[in-house]
Amino acid sequence: MNGKSEALNGRSGPQAAPKPASGIGWNEVKAELVEFFSSIKLAMFLFLIIAVAATIGTVIQQNERAEVYVKEYGEEAYRWFLRLGWTDIYHTWYFTSLLALLCINSLTCFYQRFPGIWRSMHQDKVSVNLPFIKNLKQTTEMSVAGTKEGVSKGIVQYLAEKGYMVLAKNEPGEATLYATKGIMGRVGAHMAHLSATVIVLGGLIGSLYGFQEFGVCLEGQTYHIPKGSFDLRIDKFWIDYHENGSVKSYNSILTVLEQGQEKVTKTITVNDPLVYKGIWFYQSSYGDAWDQVDVARVNVKDKKTDKILQTVDLQWKKEATLDKLGLKIMLADFVADFGFNSNEKKVYSKSVEHENPAIKLEMAEHTKKSALEATPWIFYHYPDLFDIPGSQYRFELVGYQPRKFTGLQITRDPGVTIVWIGSTMIVVGISLSSFIYHRRLWFKVIPDKQGVTVHMGGTTHKNQIDFNKEFRKLTERIKTINA
Amino acid sequence: MLRSLFLFDMTFWLYLAAFALYIAYVFARKPAMQMAAAGHPGGGVSFTTEGDQGWAVQIGQVATIITVFGWMVNTAALFTRAMERMQHSGTFAPWSNQFEAMAYVSWAIILGYVLLEFRYRIKTVGAFVVGIGFIAMGAASLLPYRYQTAEPLVPALNSYWIYIHVSVTLTSYAAFAMAGGLGVMYLFRERAERKGPVTGVMASLPDLETIDELGYKAIMIGFPMLAFGIILGAMWANYAWGGYWSWDPKETWSLIVWLIYGAYIHARMTRGWGGHRAAIYAVFGFLMVIFCFWGVNFLLSGLHAYA
Repeated sequence: MNGKSEALNGRSGPQAAPKPASGIGWNEVKAELVEFFSSIKLAMFLFLIIAVAATIGTVIQQNERAEVYVKEYGEEAYRWFLRLGWTDIYHTWYFTSLLALLCINSLTCFYQRFPGIWRSMHQDKVSVNLPFIKNLKQTTEMSVAGTKEGVSKGIVQYLAEKGYMVLAKNEPGEATLYATKGIMGRVGAHMAHLSATVIVLGGLIGSLYGFQEFGVCLEGQTYHIPKGSFDLRIDKFWIDYHENGSVKSYNSILTVLEQGQEKVTKTITVNDPLVYKGIWFYQSSYGDAWDQVDVARVNVKDKKTDKILQTVDLQWKKEATLDKLGLKIMLADFVADFGFNSNEKKVYSKSVEHENPAIKLEMAEHTKKSALEATPWIFYHYPDLFDIPGSQYRFELVGYQPRKFTGLQITRDPGVTIVWIGSTMIVVGISLSSFIYHRRLWFKVIPDKQGVTVHMGGTTHKNQIDFNKEFRKLTERIKTINA
Repeated sequence: MLRSLFLFDMTFWLYLAAFALYIAYVFARKPAMQMAAAGHPGGGVSFTTEGDQGWAVQIGQVATIITVFGWMVNTAALFTRAMERMQHSGTFAPWSNQFEAMAYVSWAIILGYVLLEFRYRIKTVGAFVVGIGFIAMGAASLLPYRYQTAEPLVPALNSYWIYIHVSVTLTSYAAFAMAGGLGVMYLFRERAERKGPVTGVMASLPDLETIDELGYKAIMIGFPMLAFGIILGAMWANYAWGGYWSWDPKETWSLIVWLIYGAYIHARMTRGWGGHRAAIYAVFGFLMVIFCFWGVNFLLSGLHAYA
């Protein structure tokens, strides 16, 4: 079928014995299937088709909103994208099937070829005849002075020094030697074949039993993590800067609490997550909260003269008493982008952007001229929008300090260790198979009038260039083995 | 900053000189030295390097010296940049932006070439591979100045993973660049051979089988390195982004490149696949590497968009 299996099974070697042919039965079907699924052609096809599918996924943005696609490619194209699953190609049934096929392919290849390699590590390969040696890819013969035993011994010794495993057979009239080195190169290739399945398995476990969530967490708050049955308190969030003003790091101090007991406290940064009971907390983003502020600065003005009577910094949900003005005010609510739902009569923030910020005050006014309670919304951009009927005062929102939130990614992936095992296998496996190449040498030492004739032949499944060099060196060496 | 930029500039000119000298060497070599495989029974592979005469010897020697010197200046430039980074940004990896990455790739390509020359004694490869090193360095220096300076790292990059993930990946790119250069060389020589007995300039190139094998070797080095680089990237992502694989364009493209070379490695296992097809494939693969390295950064958006 191909060079690899030929060399492995030694079809042209000593064990080549064709099986007796019979009718079409299960064994034949099975053999055909194994042949198909283990074929290198299928592997190449899968490699390239997966590469093509992956390319599509990088050219077309994945998991975007419909408008984005329609705007960029038009409606008709978008409909096709949906049909073909191109907006989320890595999770389509066919992409998954391709990965599954790749696993089947590499496993079948392992099943078909590894036993041969295993056997060849233990098998007798020394019973070969002269034509076999003469038919090898690299072959030569030379006359050497010395006896059959002496020359054989010299060759064996030299090869053993070079790290070859040598088998020798001494018969009357001739000696046969078999030497092999670098079988680990082949073992490595199969280690890599197994790794594909291991990695995919790890990924599968992760997607079945893992989760990934995003948490918007405010400083000072405690959140329950249901999937870990513990609580997480965000103690602090801050940003460090470089001298030139660019961001150096985003940091949050997190504390894990179990039944109110502090367990762990850790400062997490972008490259340094907190891991607790298999759940990972990543510093993922940050921002200004859209429904809370720490402080708001408010000017209290006289409605008639428009003169600022007092400037006050209101803390979130803390009542401030302005005795001189007969006022009690509290900062009761905040929205970053004011919106009003007229059905539910509810104020909400239309977005997380600070487009149209507004605060709600709860005020109680008791002066000589007025007595009232009210809950006005004060707009940052539209200071004069609403009048408070009956009040002597007008409020002006001068500024505010939004509460920072820290964006935490919360992840659990029980498959990740398996993925790392598979990764190690693939790297070790490919490295072995790339840097170590399997080579085999056969010798016949036949006595003649002058001394002996050494017939030598060898094959390798790759790295011809270095093997040729080695072969030449070996030839030179054997010619002078008794000199 | 200026000191390292000066050294990078010097590297560029030295590589240009070396490139020109290697081309001159190819032309100066007395062609058609029929050092056929006579002394090497059974081998189609032979090395016809020993027969340089006249000017070729001197030009070849000067080319090698300039290349090695250029590589040393390149090393010094990277080293100086590392020191500057240490002062400005607290990490020293001199491959922290597109410019530095390019300079590092040139460094790795030239190192690979020098090792190849010393091991196999084939200088004509320099006309192709040193050329790629020079082009990489040249492309780097064409980047706008703001890309060339050692700005502090953004938080996501500020990690010890950058030392190993980036350097391993870039080294694999260099190996693929080498294979691409050898592929072009193969196609040149092959074209000449098709027209009849090879004479003239083309005859000074090594024989096809040698070029083919060397190209294969380069890919055999690049392939496991890229696998290692991708996996180091996955490990880093697991620390920084909350998942080892998120189909970000850059990581997907590195996988695509890896799959392309994976198909190549498997194809070579089948009998008779090599030579012409392998050479074209190596050039194609290298173009994909270039896209993965440059194209993705400038054309596709994603988590790797740091350039």
